[in-house]
Amino acid sequence: MAEMDIKLNVNGTQQEVSANPDKTLLYLLRDNLGLTGTKDGCSSGDCGACVVMLDGRPVNSCMVLAAQVEGSTVLTIEGLAENGNLHPVQRTFGETWAFQCGFCTPGMLISCYALLESNDDPTREEILTAIAGNFCRCTGYQGVVKAVQQAAAELRAANGGGGND
Amino acid sequence: MAVAVMTESAVVGKWTAAPGAHEIVTGEARYCPDIRLPGMLCGKLLYSPYARARIVKLDVSKAREMPGVIATITHADIPGENSYLYAEPDQPLLVVDEVRFQGDAVAAVAAVDEQTADAALAAIDVEYEELPGIFDPLEAMQPGADQILPGHDNVMMSQMYRTGNVDAAIASADVVIENVYRTQWAEQAFLETEGGVGLVDANGGITVYSSCQAPHRDRMQIARALRMPESMVRVITPYIGGAFGAKDEAHVQIHAGLLAHAAQRPVHLIRERRESILTHVKRHPMTIECTTAATAKGELLAVKARVIADAGPYTNSTHEVLGRTGEFIGGPYKVPNLEVEKIGVRTNNPICGAFRGFGAPQAAFVCESQMDDLARKLGMDPLEIRLLNGVDTGTKMYTGVVLREASAMKASLDRAAEMIEWDKRDQFERKPASHLRRGWGIATILKGTGLGRSLLDHAGVVLEMHRDGSVVLQSSAADMGQGIITVMAQLAAERLGVDMSAIRVIRADTSRSPDAGPTCASRQTMVSGNAVIRAADEIRDTLLTLAVRKTKIEKDRLDLRAGRLTVDGKPHEMSVNDLALRAANWGYPLHAESLVHFEYPDDAPPGDYRFSQEVFQFCTQVAQVLVDCETGQVTVERLIAVHDAGKMINPGGVYGQIEGGVAQGIGYALTEELLVEEGLTKNPSLENYVIPMAFDIPEIEMEVLEIPEPFGAPLGAKGIAEAPIIPTAPAIRNAIYDAIDKPLYELPMTAERVLAVS
Repeated sequence: MAEMDIKLNVNGTQQEVSANPDKTLLYLLRDNLGLTGTKDGCSSGDCGACVVMLDGRPVNSCMVLAAQVEGSTVLTIEGLAENGNLHPVQRTFGETWAFQCGFCTPGMLISCYALLESNDDPTREEILTAIAGNFCRCTGYQGVVKAVQQAAAELRAANGGGGND
Repeated sequence: MAVAVMTESAVVGKWTAAPGAHEIVTGEARYCPDIRLPGMLCGKLLYSPYARARIVKLDVSKAREMPGVIATITHADIPGENSYLYAEPDQPLLVVDEVRFQGDAVAAVAAVDEQTADAALAAIDVEYEELPGIFDPLEAMQPGADQILPGHDNVMMSQMYRTGNVDAAIASADVVIENVYRTQWAEQAFLETEGGVGLVDANGGITVYSSCQAPHRDRMQIARALRMPESMVRVITPYIGGAFGAKDEAHVQIHAGLLAHAAQRPVHLIRERRESILTHVKRHPMTIECTTAATAKGELLAVKARVIADAGPYTNSTHEVLGRTGEFIGGPYKVPNLEVEKIGVRTNNPICGAFRGFGAPQAAFVCESQMDDLARKLGMDPLEIRLLNGVDTGTKMYTGVVLREASAMKASLDRAAEMIEWDKRDQFERKPASHLRRGWGIATILKGTGLGRSLLDHAGVVLEMHRDGSVVLQSSAADMGQGIITVMAQLAAERLGVDMSAIRVIRADTSRSPDAGPTCASRQTMVSGNAVIRAADEIRDTLLTLAVRKTKIEKDRLDLRAGRLTVDGKPHEMSVNDLALRAANWGYPLHAESLVHFEYPDDAPPGDYRFSQEVFQFCTQVAQVLVDCETGQVTVERLIAVHDAGKMINPGGVYGQIEGGVAQGIGYALTEELLVEEGLTKNPSLENYVIPMAFDIPEIEMEVLEIPEPFGAPLGAKGIAEAPIIPTAPAIRNAIYDAIDKPLYELPMTAERVLAVS
């Protein structure tokens, strides 16, 4: 199969890579761009370890082919912090023990980030819905719920929104 | 008389983020699959499509000639021992003449990329003669049955442990409960599949990055496969993405070392998910016949059990797992007469071994179901019968062990009952709709910590404080996410009077850190924790000696806390950093190495259980379930978990272990089951092996009892990792029984099975 040239924006940087069109976005990120933060847990769309933001939506990057991402914008775990400042949900994940081994964390964090982008006061149900496709074998997801709620409160306070804390 | 020194801890027992949290949340943490080295090859293994087959022909010449294929190896190319060398040397790294289960590998390749490696596997010419496998342990046990391993009895172990006179006790009993239980093959499903990266050192030795629980055992296994001295082999553990027992045995790290040696280039060998599920050890499926006898008042008289476990073809840890099943078959109860027969059988089914709980979950499912059946027959409350028979501090167990601290048994029962309002449960709606039934179930367990009497159970650390007060701690205790690195950093920070941020823990590297033994049996907090305290106290003593020399104040009035020297509990102008600099300038080494043995008393009389543990985790869980009688679906509405952790060192880790263990227990109870037909697993994917996801797990209501452990513990702490998964399945089983008035004796309790009885 002939390789194709693909232009895409990853974590704010314009990239141009050559890859087989049937290579997954996951391995385009991991192999071609050296962004190994995004993990491979199953290669079959079942675990969510590889979730990244693709044009503003969370997707399993193992289910997206290189040929589909021409001109796209991708955000991975490596791009979540801005100028070295962690996103609030990155920090609260550590504080609440939202992970143990950490292998699900990159995908889980992106799913939570996607939720917080559209909802700054999510309920437990809304958080569980957001992470319904993210498998964690170490925890019972309670730390994740706590971390997202704490991060949401911080975001509301920072935005001067009507936070009630 | 010196003023009492503050005893409130500064770091220990406080919520703190794990030292590696920043790397994990930023994606910087490197796991085996993330390692990239110049010239690195892709390694792959070739497996048999059959559960049992003779290898008629194995020709790798075509693969060897392919461009881009750098190394191709079979059993004939292994310089040393062709064995995993786990418990018995009966499992080959690469099969010689016969495939005995679906996970047996026949060849390995290393190629420039994945496509080339796959093509090389396809080019290997293997001719198999499929043989009739033995897939039923009862058939394998028949006299004259075909031997799975020539020269080895299919019954790999058959042990009887007896105390008292069980048959006489049963004959004299007022009530006897007799049932047969069946449990399933269960999958650990750690999210990072097994992996290893092998490379050749500058000195001709081999280094392997390994996702493992026992780096020093890995080193021995790799060295013996390569016929190299262990001094030439180095094993490093990067971040590890979960393990739960299945990375205690070696998986691909030995092959990664062999391929790197053959190719003289770095080799990356990572299992795919399907391959992972087909190959590594599972939780043993067991058939357990159990008879429980009691008086009319509900006092236990006897437990008699016969356990048959399907081990798969190779020994692995079957002896040890079944040992624990037998050790806990009577539960945390006073059982005056007990008899347990443990039979491990070879078959051509998946290989079985370690999985969190190590034989205890099967025992608890039986014991705690029997207790509820007994209570029903006697018209007693399930809580009452447990409190009546429960052990106390000082109880001599049926294994011969005298419990040094067991007050958590009844304390956890009482507290769990209080949290769920056990006495008021009949005020809740039991039949919220015509097709729905609600019920409550309780289960309580004990689980040992440590490898057990008669076994080497030690750990060492190296600790060094530098002139600027920063500290490096080197340990080979593998952290697979359970948190031992946090625990060790907290203990070092506490004893040295510095902030957690001053402690840098170097992950296991056998060329630098001493052996800490395997990370299993909930043991590291106790063994490695004590090793840290011993090493830290040596450095602390040197710092205090210097402080005495400078301040002329007696040592027993001095302490180190929050980065400062304190006098009678009040901060002094000197900081710990000042003392560290002084030590460097005056030539006092702030370097300590320690080696701690988990000391077991050797006063056990002959006939007692030989490998019994001495420290026990106690816990009680209560489940509230809602059963849909039309679909068989079980919803866990509430789950109370009350656990004794001794003194908590790292609360985030302790609560995390409980929550995660319960989540795994819910899966073990209701949905998780590998479907194996004629030795072949039919559902080797995360889609078809059904694990609870976020919506399937209720908000687990946890409480930790901190009853200090008196036996060899660091600051009264003890292990916590395994207990949480153990009582969940029987608690849910008893709740389903309570809801639908029908008992289940088989795991998992899927909708189909519930529907079949309801």
